[in-house]
Amino acid sequence: MQILKVENLYKSFDGADDVVTGVSFKINTGEVIAVIGPSGSGKSTLLRCLTLLEKIDHGTIIVAGETMVTTLPNGQVSYTPEEKLRKIRLRLGMVFQNFNLFPHFSVVQNITEAPIRVGGLSPAKAKDIAFELLSKIGLSDKADAYPYQLSGGQAQRVAIARALAMKPDILFFDEPTSALDPELTGEVLKVIRTLAAEHMTMMVVTHEMSFARDVADRVIFMDKGEIIEEGTPDKIFGNPTNKRTKLFLGNLNLNSGF
Amino acid sequence: MFATDNSIRIIKLLALLLNGALTSLQIFFLTLLFSLPLGLLIALGRMAPQKWINAPIKLFILIMRGTPLLLQLIFVYFAPFYMLPEGFKFSLPRFTAAIIAFSLNYAAYFAEIYRGGIESISQGQYEAAAVLGFTKTQTFFRIILPQVIKRILPPICNEVITLVKDSALVQILGISELFRVAKNESSRIFSTTPLFVAGLLYLFMNWIVTRVFETAEKKLSYYH
Ligand SMILES: Nc1ncnc2c1ncn2[C@@H]1O[C@H](COP(=O)(O)OP(=O)(O)OP(=O)(O)O)[C@@H](O)[C@H]1O
Ligand SMILES: [Mg+2]
Repeated sequence: MQILKVENLYKSFDGADDVVTGVSFKINTGEVIAVIGPSGSGKSTLLRCLTLLEKIDHGTIIVAGETMVTTLPNGQVSYTPEEKLRKIRLRLGMVFQNFNLFPHFSVVQNITEAPIRVGGLSPAKAKDIAFELLSKIGLSDKADAYPYQLSGGQAQRVAIARALAMKPDILFFDEPTSALDPELTGEVLKVIRTLAAEHMTMMVVTHEMSFARDVADRVIFMDKGEIIEEGTPDKIFGNPTNKRTKLFLGNLNLNSGF
Repeated sequence: MFATDNSIRIIKLLALLLNGALTSLQIFFLTLLFSLPLGLLIALGRMAPQKWINAPIKLFILIMRGTPLLLQLIFVYFAPFYMLPEGFKFSLPRFTAAIIAFSLNYAAYFAEIYRGGIESISQGQYEAAAVLGFTKTQTFFRIILPQVIKRILPPICNEVITLVKDSALVQILGISELFRVAKNESSRIFSTTPLFVAGLLYLFMNWIVTRVFETAEKKLSYYH
């Protein structure tokens, strides 16, 4: 089943050149998509458009068959009314590079706050879900800790649990390990691998090529705001057809990476 | 006999000064009651993207912080009577005028403190909340404001200490607060003792203010 459909999406900032230029793609339920590409190619901006953190300039985004935003024939961008938009948005989760945990909430509160306030769950039920998630990410003993007491890797795992507690249909990750010390990336990637094994639909912007290759069902290569090439990891990493893809992967000096 | 005489005099003086201090405390608490929430509204208006909202509020803050509070007291008290056209004239009770002037003035200072606090919270907090589906109101009151309060406690404490001392200014409107009572008593009995005791009372009040804020800071020190 198709869960996300993006058509001809454009985004620019304050009248400058387009940062995302006519991107179209689809995601099916259970797919794991890795998005790779050079710095400044518009990967974060694309994710931010999909999660409504940025307004698009043109295009259509359809989530689970419901149109979140579309562009009228006269070129006017039309977002779904606020009420419905909030509902659709709940299908989308996001994990940020810098975790963005709420520092004044304990780990468990970080996870339960949205299910209670937004999802309308009882505190007891929300707590059950939180503890289930904490055991899954291996942080049951940190339930009452505060974010400042966590390592970066632990904080990012809590951020993933926080997003999962809202039971999103798609989980977006924007370079979830880029802010971490190298020795801490493994524990976060492991959690994402587990989710992939459970067929959680995910779109992961990453610079971890070996991770993209192992975990993704499909890899999207972006450059200068466009999707240059997409395909299975074997195709993109093993046999890229586009010159820019080859150049990018060549520059990463992959051979040493695997 | 002499000792009793003396202690009666001291008790009388204390009773007099405490009565004045009571008025000072009324001004203190009423000003905080109105200016703390009003300051938050002003801060939000000051940060509004619409120029027609933020521009007048900027001007208001400039005037409130840029002119003497003493002048503002006099203005609020006299302006409704002397500056309004015939038929619209009215005069405020002194105490009401004092509370209005103080509340507006302190709200302007608090507003800038709130603004500094709100602007110091990273954009990531808003974005994380938005993606989780929190409404703007929930985000502000559950996520942003608690963090802001922790950060602004020290500068708010400064203002509150100043307010205790500033309350003496309302004597310009003839209100018998602590300082005026002490001053009058001093000239009546040709002694600086009443002023000295008044000084101790101000010090005592601010000692309590300091303790209250220390406790609050400690309460909020459970996170960074
Ligand atoms: N809020 C903004 N205002 C103006 N320009 C922006 C803004 N956000 C991003 N840009 C610009 O858009 C372009 C794409 O940025 P984006 O962050 O999407 O790239 P990226 O592919 O995520 O890069 P990286 O790999 O470094 O994270 C860059 O040139 C950036 O300067
Ligand atoms: Mg980025």
